[in-house]
Amino acid sequence: MSKQQPVLFSIGWNACINCGACVAICPQEAGFVSPFDTIAVDRPCDIACLLCEQICPVDTITHQPVPRPGGHNGVNGQ
Amino acid sequence: MPPTDYDVVIIGAGPAGSTTARFAAASGLRVLLVDKRQELGAPIQCSGAISRHALEQVGIAPEAEFIHEAIYGFAIYDQHGDREVHDYRRLKPDEYGSEPGKKPLGYVVDRRRFDRYLMTQAERAGAEVWLKTEGLGYRPEADGYCTVSLRRYNQAIDIRTRILVGADGLQSQVGRWAGLQTHIKITELAGCLQFIVDRVETEGLLEIVTGHEWAPGGYAWVFPKGHGYAEIGLGVIATMTDRPARWHLDKFITQSFFRERFADCRILEVQGGGVPLAAPLRTQYADNLILVGDAARHVNPITGGGLHTAVAGGKIAADYIIGHLADGLPLQDGALEGYQRLWLEELGDKMWKLYGIKTDIFHNMNIPERDRQLYATMADYFSPTSEFKKI
Repeated sequence: MSKQQPVLFSIGWNACINCGACVAICPQEAGFVSPFDTIAVDRPCDIACLLCEQICPVDTITHQPVPRPGGHNGVNGQ
Repeated sequence: MPPTDYDVVIIGAGPAGSTTARFAAASGLRVLLVDKRQELGAPIQCSGAISRHALEQVGIAPEAEFIHEAIYGFAIYDQHGDREVHDYRRLKPDEYGSEPGKKPLGYVVDRRRFDRYLMTQAERAGAEVWLKTEGLGYRPEADGYCTVSLRRYNQAIDIRTRILVGADGLQSQVGRWAGLQTHIKITELAGCLQFIVDRVETEGLLEIVTGHEWAPGGYAWVFPKGHGYAEIGLGVIATMTDRPARWHLDKFITQSFFRERFADCRILEVQGGGVPLAAPLRTQYADNLILVGDAARHVNPITGGGLHTAVAGGKIAADYIIGHLADGLPLQDGALEGYQRLWLEELGDKMWKLYGIKTDIFHNMNIPERDRQLYATMADYFSPTSEFKKI
């Protein structure tokens, strides 16, 4: 499971019930949260374990792969 | 001029945080309790069951303000619908019942009102309470105290305190600030969903439905919710199913032995949460910091119940803090380890034992056998002779 490609999560807010399970299962360090108490959706997750998607009781988290950070801030191409 | 703004800052005004705040403030400590929410208890992530004993133990009167319905016992079902009932109105008719002079065994509470009530009691005991205030981080200082960074209605505020209490729930960020090992395994966090419904009859019992068929890795429940309402819910372990909790709850409602009973049900609210069926955190303290409640994973690993353990743990934390600060003891370099020892002694050792029982059951890969074990364990757990009755 090493060297996963980073992903950007997307949350279907219509189905989200704000249960917090995604944040609870998330192995990221402090702060990988959105203002709505879900996992962050405004920056890539470089762990990409996808546990949040797996635990979501309403199956409303999806992701898109994003280029691995070439520079220091993760916005450059591969 | 005191060297700190407060003696204790508590992040998270749920049952654990507010109970810690109430006891600490009542002893004369300067307590600040903060919560980022605008309304406590919400979004509701809990079924709301708590025993009368648990409330009494921490001096909470069973006020009508927060009680949905009184509970008199349990019914535990196997996957076919056969059940074992522990109705204390029949087991101990002189003690339990709805008649005058008799008592309920427990309650299903309204978490919005319950949490607000507990916060109010903390405030009346002398704690200062700030809503719409989130914690951003903390820093132990060389002088032995610490600085907590908060944001209140968009304003950044630094507070100096002696002890920071992380009571910020299962999604706890406070524990992560301190670098504590808070990570929970996917096999030990149940994804839960429940509906508050109309037109489902209940009988003053907490009903627990076991069986891999209905709730792989967890169980399903039907609890009375007052005014003729009920809550129907379940929790599942993601690695034991390819489907989300919502799919299982729909299946439970439409296909289980309760399908006739649920046929007319109307959904009034949708609630969910992650419920740890896990061991308590191995380390619940750091420099100037302790964790309580869900943040310390003070949750019963068999039932997933966290209210009793939250308020009981809150009192233990406050008792410890009061004594520790009164003695003027250090607050860093492992000095707060005594909190964890006290907690283990009073509550934690039993929870570790329950975790062992739970782990044994779910390590069994033979599903019919595991179903039988879970049913037997649950039936025994809620029986009047259970050694774990007080958890």
